[in-house]
Amino acid sequence: MRKNKDNKIRKRGLGAKASRNLGNTIIYIILILITLVWLFPFFGILLESFKVETRMQTSYLWPQKFGFDNYIRLFKETDFLVWFKNTAIMGVATSILQTIFILSMSYVLSRLRFKGRKALMNFMLILGMFPGFLTMILIYKVFYDFGLTANMAPLGLIIVYCASSGMGYYVSKGFFDTIPKSLDEAARVDGATRFQVFYKVIMPLSKPIVIYTILMGFMAPWGDFMMASYLIHENSQGMNVAVGMFEWLSRANMNLNYTMFCAAGVIVAIPVVAVFLALQKYYVEGVTGGAVKG
Amino acid sequence: MPFIINPYIIIKRSYINSVYIFTMKRLSDLEYLKLNKWKAFWYNVALFICSIPNFLLKGLRAIWKLIKNIGIGIKNEFVDIGSTFIKGNWAVKLSYIIFGLGNIYYGQVMRGIFFFLFEVIFIGYMLVPSGGLYWLGKSNLFQVGQTVGTVGPRKEVVSGLLGKTEITIYGDDSVKVLLYALLTVFFMVAFLYTWRLQVKQCRICMDITAKGKKVRSGKEDMKSLLDDQFHKTLLSLPLAGILIFTVLPIIYMILVAFTSYDAAHDGYSNLFSWVGLENFNALFDFGYGGLGLAFGEILSWTLMWSFFATFSNYFLGMLVAIMINKKGIKIKKFWRTVLVMTIAIPQFVSLLYVSHLFDSSGIIGKLLGQIPFISNYLNANHFISLWDSPVVAKILLIVINIWVGIPYIMLMATGILMNIPQDLYESARIDGASSYQQFTKITLPYMLFVTGPYLLTSFVGNLNNFNVIYLLSGGNPLNTDIGVAGGASVGHTDLLVTWLFKMTFGSTESKYYMASIIGILVFLVVAILSLIVYNVIPSTKNEEDYK
Amino acid sequence: MASVKLTNVKKIYGKDTVAVQDFNLDIADKEFIVFVGPSGCGKSTTLRMIAGLEDISAGTVEIDGVVVNDLQPRDRDIAMVFQNYALYPHLTVFENMAFSLRLKNVPNDIVYEKVTQAAEILGITDYLTRKPRALSGGQRQRVAIGRAMVRDSKVFLMDEPLSNLDAKLRNQMRAEIILLRQKIDTTFIYVTHDQTEAMTLGDRIVIMKDGFIQQVGTPTEVFDMPLNLFVAEFIGAPKMNTFKTNLVCEGGKYYVTPYGSKIEVTGKKAEMLKSKGITSGEIILGVRPEHFVLSNASNPGAIPCKIVVNEMMGSELHLHVLEENGDRLIVRIPTVSLDDDQRNMLTYGHTIYVTFEGKVMHFFDKDTEQNLLI
Repeated sequence: MRKNKDNKIRKRGLGAKASRNLGNTIIYIILILITLVWLFPFFGILLESFKVETRMQTSYLWPQKFGFDNYIRLFKETDFLVWFKNTAIMGVATSILQTIFILSMSYVLSRLRFKGRKALMNFMLILGMFPGFLTMILIYKVFYDFGLTANMAPLGLIIVYCASSGMGYYVSKGFFDTIPKSLDEAARVDGATRFQVFYKVIMPLSKPIVIYTILMGFMAPWGDFMMASYLIHENSQGMNVAVGMFEWLSRANMNLNYTMFCAAGVIVAIPVVAVFLALQKYYVEGVTGGAVKG
Repeated sequence: MPFIINPYIIIKRSYINSVYIFTMKRLSDLEYLKLNKWKAFWYNVALFICSIPNFLLKGLRAIWKLIKNIGIGIKNEFVDIGSTFIKGNWAVKLSYIIFGLGNIYYGQVMRGIFFFLFEVIFIGYMLVPSGGLYWLGKSNLFQVGQTVGTVGPRKEVVSGLLGKTEITIYGDDSVKVLLYALLTVFFMVAFLYTWRLQVKQCRICMDITAKGKKVRSGKEDMKSLLDDQFHKTLLSLPLAGILIFTVLPIIYMILVAFTSYDAAHDGYSNLFSWVGLENFNALFDFGYGGLGLAFGEILSWTLMWSFFATFSNYFLGMLVAIMINKKGIKIKKFWRTVLVMTIAIPQFVSLLYVSHLFDSSGIIGKLLGQIPFISNYLNANHFISLWDSPVVAKILLIVINIWVGIPYIMLMATGILMNIPQDLYESARIDGASSYQQFTKITLPYMLFVTGPYLLTSFVGNLNNFNVIYLLSGGNPLNTDIGVAGGASVGHTDLLVTWLFKMTFGSTESKYYMASIIGILVFLVVAILSLIVYNVIPSTKNEEDYK
Repeated sequence: MASVKLTNVKKIYGKDTVAVQDFNLDIADKEFIVFVGPSGCGKSTTLRMIAGLEDISAGTVEIDGVVVNDLQPRDRDIAMVFQNYALYPHLTVFENMAFSLRLKNVPNDIVYEKVTQAAEILGITDYLTRKPRALSGGQRQRVAIGRAMVRDSKVFLMDEPLSNLDAKLRNQMRAEIILLRQKIDTTFIYVTHDQTEAMTLGDRIVIMKDGFIQQVGTPTEVFDMPLNLFVAEFIGAPKMNTFKTNLVCEGGKYYVTPYGSKIEVTGKKAEMLKSKGITSGEIILGVRPEHFVLSNASNPGAIPCKIVVNEMMGSELHLHVLEENGDRLIVRIPTVSLDDDQRNMLTYGHTIYVTFEGKVMHFFDKDTEQNLLI
């Protein structure tokens, strides 16, 4: 009787281990599949960019002949370098300004208490429900008069990206909310003004969210198509990469530019991916620390 | 006759005025605990149904309370203004006309001078030629049938060296007239507010000196901007940005809904005019090319898209996070980095590439096209590529969006999973829960609670997810049942926001007033959705709990 | 070093949630005062109002004769130790302690001297270059205290500083705070929910409940003469036994009749009853557990009861006993005088007889719950 029971337990124990192994194997297979699916576009773009034999889209992946023709053409025949420069400038400027705006907003809403705080938050919540893109109709008109469109569009776009960025305070507010309130209080008892609390206590503790905000600001201009295309209006000298490259894939141009598009894509991806991978740790901390509370 | 749908709801017909009345059999807590699963479910359904009237009533009451509070607030303001005037000395009384006099009298010279300067600038601006009053007059605010701006363009024949040529002399630009008029109104509101502010400050100074204390000096004012008024310092810049670049344009666009602003009436080559509510009539046009029809169609797809995009990402992302974080899985960091890479690459590159992968000549498109079932379907409907079929296009969008969205959710879920106390799982395992049960009973409820607000924001974000739709399908294939509505062709996969984009940017008609109406409707949809969700989910109510 | 005076201080949250109600207290220079009470009684709120971390809804707070209601915390010249230490995680122990001095731009050699001096007293000199996260709970607590020490402020505020420590460490730190107090002779205001801390540390104790002060007095006063039933039950561990009974006045002598027994009131208490002119009637009687003694059935004052729980504390025995009516009493008996037979008797299920002396009782009005003798 006793022995039987022991056996049963042992059998089950072995079974659990075996099934765990099986489970892990299945998970590994799924993860490998996921890796393949997720990385496919990157390798696809990379391979496509080295195709020399054609400029069109093709239904095979591996180039018949490798070469740098697409890259050379990119710099010789197009304004790509100008777009790249425009976007990079916008990225740097936006990341600085946007960080200042967002951090001040979220810091105030998270850690200071004042009359009208709740009302302000509700107001911004409601404001955020309007399709923000509609504001571009008026902004375009006004910027046009100020000469901030077309060739000067990058400057106009920096203003557009940054001016209202205070409304995107949610993630960093969530982060600030997690810092214990008694730190502020201790500092204030120790003789700090609120400004000193801000830059001597809270800011040094908020490195992840500061870097996260900078990163988001830097990346925004690289992917923006909607606002940019509105202000730029087919003016090559003022384009960012998204608007410029989008044109290459229009139905009329596609067969001439497909591989070049991929080459440009590779070049665009390099700085963003590099910055991103270097700061990935902070990005993850920012997302997990702040976004959860949203 | 009493009619019972649900054992806990009783609908009775009242004999007095023959109205049906809902009643509900309420159970005590202990009685409720005795119910089995199904009965408890029905009981909750009944509770929900019976709480609807109460909910509505509560809403009405809240609105009434708001109105009442505003009323009381206004009354108090007037009482305060009046009593300040009566109690105040000559300086306070005079500062009702001359700004800042009271402040200067009580020693706050700097504030006083600022107030006074503001008044001078305001009055100056209003009165100078082509100042505030001029623009207000020109704009004919809300006068239906009148143009915005008074002087239209006119043609003039000029004789020059090459003979007579006709040139156009432009008059007013309606867009600018309306903008300046709006700015003037803003300025007026600011003026009124400043007036009230300085009267209030007189009152405060009066009260402080009456107590025998000293009022704050200008130097102390400056200092306090870094201390107890620090929020004003930090907020000034972001709020100014929001005011100028969001609030002003939004109000402007709302005004545009009541005008005839479009490409044909662009403001300078042809003045646009006030049309009142006429534009809104189009909303009730459900015929071919009707705005009502198009809006309904696009809204339903937008909501559907948002729902699937949000929840498919949410659950699959969570699943991936759980798989990566499972004990015994190695090289966790590698799996995570692979996924995070997709965030780093600019979306327009990867999305445009992926979109073309599914084209008829793309690698995947071609591969799928060789499957008989799919090729038969495409041929039967005369579709060239997968993107030409409305149904397939919609499915593709959702699937590709999973590719886009999972990394974000995975990252977030990883953070939350790490926060779930491990002893919960240990206790559950001792209680005999399988790993599936551990997921449904511990992980999921915890995740849903923590991410409730995030789900809402991501739902709203997907409602307005321009990039994914525009770069993948461009809103195509075209919807031939609707044709062109609001000046833009309507596609099967168009979201409200891409439709708006086409309306204002992609079409030659540029019916801005239509875009404005759709914008207002989008706002209403989002607001109503949010209101409901915020009242349902528990995690929005305890902002301070985490501190 | 300063006196603190609170006059009619009130704290109201929102519209009508009252946290502190009409708080009046004079704290003398160099006094160690302890606010004690159950959670939510308003003790921390009062402390935070003194610190300037909460607005004062009504009344005035004076430090050294100056009304500080409108002053920022940093202008009040106070130091504070927080419950969760509130150490700056990004600064070393040294910089944590030097923080307030750095804000005042004090020259480094003075900062060094002050910080090392404080560290010496607290025994944390070895950790000065570490970050707070590398410290244990007790060490963090010392750093928090050290940070407050270097300021030489007028008033030293402590908000439940020991409640995050384990029991043993808490006892140790309690003793150290007493020593510390002898070294830095200043005004202390200490908040705690633990009556032991209050009794051992305070020159005077302020006992609070629901925002009201219940009693202010020295530890001896509040223990021997609790103003009302709440204070009587709150101070002393295990808590005082209280039960409804009759006070009988016969021929100039007072008797109480708990559970059918009859015990004469003697000593000072009897005199006080007489001088107050109190007559017979129903009252609430309070008897501390240590004042019960074992008795035998023949004693008229004996109360028969059954043991339900016995807690052996080593030097003493805590017995939870059920009286015949079902009331539960706690009896505390020193173990020194017990022989083995008696020890065996004092276990679960046995019936014992207990009584108490006539001079150790407390009398409370059955309606107002106030002490009848004050």
